[in-house]
Amino acid sequence: MSAKNMFLKPGFVRAPLQNGVGRYVCQLQRIVFKFCKSSGGSRGMRDYIEQDLVDFAKVNPGVVVYLKPRRHRSPVVVAEYLNGDRLWMSCHNKTHEEITKWIEVCRTQQGNNEDIRLRKYQYTDYPSVQGPWTPFTFKDPELNNTVLPNTKFGVNNRLPISATEQLRLMFEKQKLYEGDEIKTAE
Amino acid sequence: MNMALVRRFVPFLAKAIRIQQTTQAQKIHRWVAPTLMELKRREDKQGGKKFYPRNTFLEWNLEAELYAFGQRLNEEFDSDLLLQAFTDRSYVIKEEMKQKEMDFDIKMKDNKELVEIGESFIGAYIQNYLETVLPKFPMDGVKCIKNHLTSEAVLANISLHLGTKDIILAAEYPVDNFILANTFKAIVGALLDSSGEDRAAHFVRDFVITQLQGQDINEYWPIEDPWAMLTGLLKKDGATVEPRLIGEAGKNTLLACYRVGLYVDKKIISTGFGESIAVAKEMAAREALKKIFGTEDHMKPINFQLDGIPKPSSQSRYQIPAS
Repeated sequence: MSAKNMFLKPGFVRAPLQNGVGRYVCQLQRIVFKFCKSSGGSRGMRDYIEQDLVDFAKVNPGVVVYLKPRRHRSPVVVAEYLNGDRLWMSCHNKTHEEITKWIEVCRTQQGNNEDIRLRKYQYTDYPSVQGPWTPFTFKDPELNNTVLPNTKFGVNNRLPISATEQLRLMFEKQKLYEGDEIKTAE
Repeated sequence: MNMALVRRFVPFLAKAIRIQQTTQAQKIHRWVAPTLMELKRREDKQGGKKFYPRNTFLEWNLEAELYAFGQRLNEEFDSDLLLQAFTDRSYVIKEEMKQKEMDFDIKMKDNKELVEIGESFIGAYIQNYLETVLPKFPMDGVKCIKNHLTSEAVLANISLHLGTKDIILAAEYPVDNFILANTFKAIVGALLDSSGEDRAAHFVRDFVITQLQGQDINEYWPIEDPWAMLTGLLKKDGATVEPRLIGEAGKNTLLACYRVGLYVDKKIISTGFGESIAVAKEMAAREALKKIFGTEDHMKPINFQLDGIPKPSSQSRYQIPAS
């Protein structure tokens, strides 16, 4: 995380209002296109409005589309979402294709995600169906009917092999090989 | 004028901050704080920060908004009824005062009746739905969940996220939770009148009942004395419950942990753990109650797909004594 991200509002991946559990509601509620009818910076925006906007409005009847022509000012798209977010996007000198893609982004996202730093890429309200851990959670069931003290459960096998033991094993091994050699020599 | 001043100062502010990046210490120019304070003082003198409701903007079309509202939710509303549902009483009073001054009279309807219709429908439907999807849960618990779902805060949150905030006609903005919740009830009332009971029921199911998704429903029903409740329930079936200490760890330390198992006829029904034996016993009783009510941590998720208005069979439910 860079220092820049520290000043973003932290958040989780969440669907607003359990969207999709019942039915899906498009979260974009209205979109305002502000543009100039004559200046070159609005060229792409004007193309979009002429060619694609009517189709967009037809396909998305739940989004209110407003057009706001204004003289000699650069084009802007303002998207408003159901959760109250407002996304302001400059479209100065953007081409028709770029605007089409950005509008698609506005339509499919659930709010203004620009100023949110995701703390994790997953989220749950219900972290466990097993309950919290206790010292008894992973207890060996065999312990239930064992009489203690018991050599099986009391054995200390947690330490690594000692140097003495290692030497002893090496010695045993050596003896074994020597015995073999003697046998083969005969 | 204030805004113009702020706008004039913004480039200076930006410049002031940019200079800081090259130097070590954070230095904000001496004039910044006094200027901002002065601006704040002037703003307060004018009557505080002004809130401009969305429906006072130039780009606002109430008719289009109402149409889109229905389309967005995939519902067909009667347009007059929908407008009525969005009209709060405070707005009508304000309009009538205006009209009196200007000496004319146009009748307006507020959403009071729709709120009442919607409220009773929401209450009855949620009750039926919960009784059907939680067949073993006691009626007291169902009532508590219903009260949670129909509380002002929950309904206002739903209403806000359906986009009513800007469309509501009220005397003052921003609208408060009471008006938001009322508007939601009125919308259900309007839907009931325009599309019938089934559509309204599915609307409530999809937006209100789904709020239980991912929630622990036991938390909505606080049980004061789970041990007494459990023994009372089992006494009816002629069974006696016997608690036994089945594990202890870290005794006489800060991290002590005891485990208590509850037995009926020498068969374990539940276990619970806690920092003392009494707590562990209570937790075990809670676990046992969850098992009886079918609301364990690993219960099947609540069914949010029931069609129509479910009819709860008035089966033998656990009636919990008031004590």
